[in-house]
Amino acid sequence: MKKNIANTITLIVGLALLGAGLYLVKAYPSAQGVLLALPYVCIGLGCGLFGQGVSGIVNRAVLKQNPEIAKQQEIEQKDERNQEIANRAKAKAYDAMIFVFGALMVAFALMGMDFIPVLLLVFAYLYVVGVSIYYRCKLEKEL
Amino acid sequence: MKNRLEELRKQRGIKQEELAAALEVSRQTIGSLENGRYNPSILLAFRIARYFGVGIEEIFIYEEERL
Repeated sequence: MKKNIANTITLIVGLALLGAGLYLVKAYPSAQGVLLALPYVCIGLGCGLFGQGVSGIVNRAVLKQNPEIAKQQEIEQKDERNQEIANRAKAKAYDAMIFVFGALMVAFALMGMDFIPVLLLVFAYLYVVGVSIYYRCKLEKEL
Repeated sequence: MKNRLEELRKQRGIKQEELAAALEVSRQTIGSLENGRYNPSILLAFRIARYFGVGIEEIFIYEEERL
């Protein structure tokens, strides 16, 4: 029930954003600066949320009529091998990301890019590394 | 780690799908276990042992790695 409400809210918010985006495009055709990009951001986000809401509602309706499929889906989600595969894949992607983002930051710095975007990238990188260290310490205590 | 899962399953005439449904795991997990590609968690090992009514060590054969 809670998931159904969440899907409906997602759908409504998506439609509202989509409507707002289309209205802004029509109402302010000669907008400048941030206002120029804002309607298209609204349309993009709105379409994404609308699609997610619709797929969630359709998915739940189909699973309600087919309890066997729902049970199989639950088994697939909880299956320990599937979970281990997903976790290993995420770990590999994180390792790759650390090298790729590191190289990208150095390249941006050497290319003489603006200070602020490079700094934002460095902070984002350090934040992700910080999250990793936090969970490492937390899990060290818990397990 | 080697195991006798396939042997025990076939002895009792159970299909991989049936065993997977009884243990609430995917059929692929059963296949990987039988091929020795995947080692189960201790909880799943206990569930498998209970399902067949035998001890864990009668199904899973632990061999120390030779150095």
